[in-house]
Amino acid sequence: MAEKPRILIIDDDEDFRISIRTLLQSHNYDVIEAESGKQGLQKIREERPDLIVLDIMMETIDEGYLLNQIIKFQKDYEEFKRLPILMVSSIQQDPLSRFPKAAGEVEMITPDYYLTKPVDIPKFLELVQKLLNQ
Amino acid sequence: MGMADGSISQKKIFVIDDDPVMRLSCSKILEKEGYSVETYEDGAQGLEHINGVRPDLLVVDLKMPKIGGIEVIRRVHEIDVDICIVVITGYATIGTAVEAMKAGAYDFLPKPFTPDELRLIVKRGLERSDLARQSQRLRQEKEALQRSFITFVSHQLQSPLVAVQQYFDVLRHLEDSPDKPKLQQEWIERSAARIQELLDMIRDWLTIAKIESGQFAECLTQVDIAPIIHNLVQAYAETAAVRKIALTTQIPPNLSLVSGHESCLQMLFSNLIVNAIKYNKDHGRVDITAADAGDFVLVNVSDSGIGIPEDKLDMIFEEFYRIKSEATKNIPGTGLGLPICKKIIDELGGKITVASKINEGSTFSVYLPKFKD
Repeated sequence: MAEKPRILIIDDDEDFRISIRTLLQSHNYDVIEAESGKQGLQKIREERPDLIVLDIMMETIDEGYLLNQIIKFQKDYEEFKRLPILMVSSIQQDPLSRFPKAAGEVEMITPDYYLTKPVDIPKFLELVQKLLNQ
Repeated sequence: MGMADGSISQKKIFVIDDDPVMRLSCSKILEKEGYSVETYEDGAQGLEHINGVRPDLLVVDLKMPKIGGIEVIRRVHEIDVDICIVVITGYATIGTAVEAMKAGAYDFLPKPFTPDELRLIVKRGLERSDLARQSQRLRQEKEALQRSFITFVSHQLQSPLVAVQQYFDVLRHLEDSPDKPKLQQEWIERSAARIQELLDMIRDWLTIAKIESGQFAECLTQVDIAPIIHNLVQAYAETAAVRKIALTTQIPPNLSLVSGHESCLQMLFSNLIVNAIKYNKDHGRVDITAADAGDFVLVNVSDSGIGIPEDKLDMIFEEFYRIKSEATKNIPGTGLGLPICKKIIDELGGKITVASKINEGSTFSVYLPKFKD
């Protein structure tokens, strides 16, 4: 019997983690959590999730973008390069247009998958399923 | 000897003149100075290349066939207003030179001119365009900061509502189970806390808007801060007692009156005292002292709390900034308390400083101007 798919939620909002964790667990997923980008990177190594749900604005305005960038491009994380990342944010804005650039900040790559918070539940579950089946 | 400066970045200069002798002599003089020079025999050609190369400075003859110098200036500045333009003109066209300056040229050089004159005017022009670029960069940085600030504020205001909405959506989606009523109860409590957080944030945000409108500063009166502080200490005694935190005050009876606004000063000290309790440890202390200090009254609010990391001291007066750590994780706050304090004090012409040691505590020192008749 196959093991339950493992999903890592990286979000600094505890309440969002609680509701989404409960939702995912009720659909028979194994859920782990991280409350910061730093903790997230650690959990990726330790827990080897199958999918990441990643918040964009945490301690800084683009912490999620940075993390996405690290996982996709940094040599240290090469083995996780293909890990699907579903990014979420409450900022109602076209995610492809990216957030306004702060002074001196570098251009970030756009997310592969993005949903606005609060996430539409059927859409969210469908996307999670699809990404895990890839 | 040329002052070649290629090591940093070679300045690019375009010379546009229909006279081939002029083009040759200008480029010889300027290349000797270490600039990279490109010459064009008419405005159309010059303009064609400006988009790709973006020169730092343009030397242009006013009197040319086809597109005249004035038109060139106008079109160049449509492309990049920071490109510095020097016009060359014969004696007969001083009038048009003035017109060129009005159109945005930096300076003009009447013919005939010496190599030194050309060198000097180009050097000054480049210095000016450097300044213009610098100030433009600063302007852009400031705008970008402002934009990301707006993004940040809207995020802070939306987060509590998003969390609550997500709870409701998930609850509606979850199938009934024996655990569900308990979960429901717990999530209602959590939602209520988030809504309170949002209400506090809006209240503080409005307070800041009110202070910034200058309403408080308009009617400054003489205020005795001793009763304000004593009343606040009484009001928060119970909150402090729950965590066995000792609250003490030391205020001399002859303390000078300050210039201010009663409700404003009450808000200021209330924020400081609440913080001193909130970020304290159980069985800790909060000591408030006041004394005259020259033209000011100095109030110190000291706590024996968790302290503030040194590299974060500059940030704590920034709107919505909150230190995220294990120690602060469960302490609620809007991130607007200290910004409000700072704005009140600025409005009154005083100042606030902070000294802190991690794990030992912080002291906020408030200097309020004494009341003068």
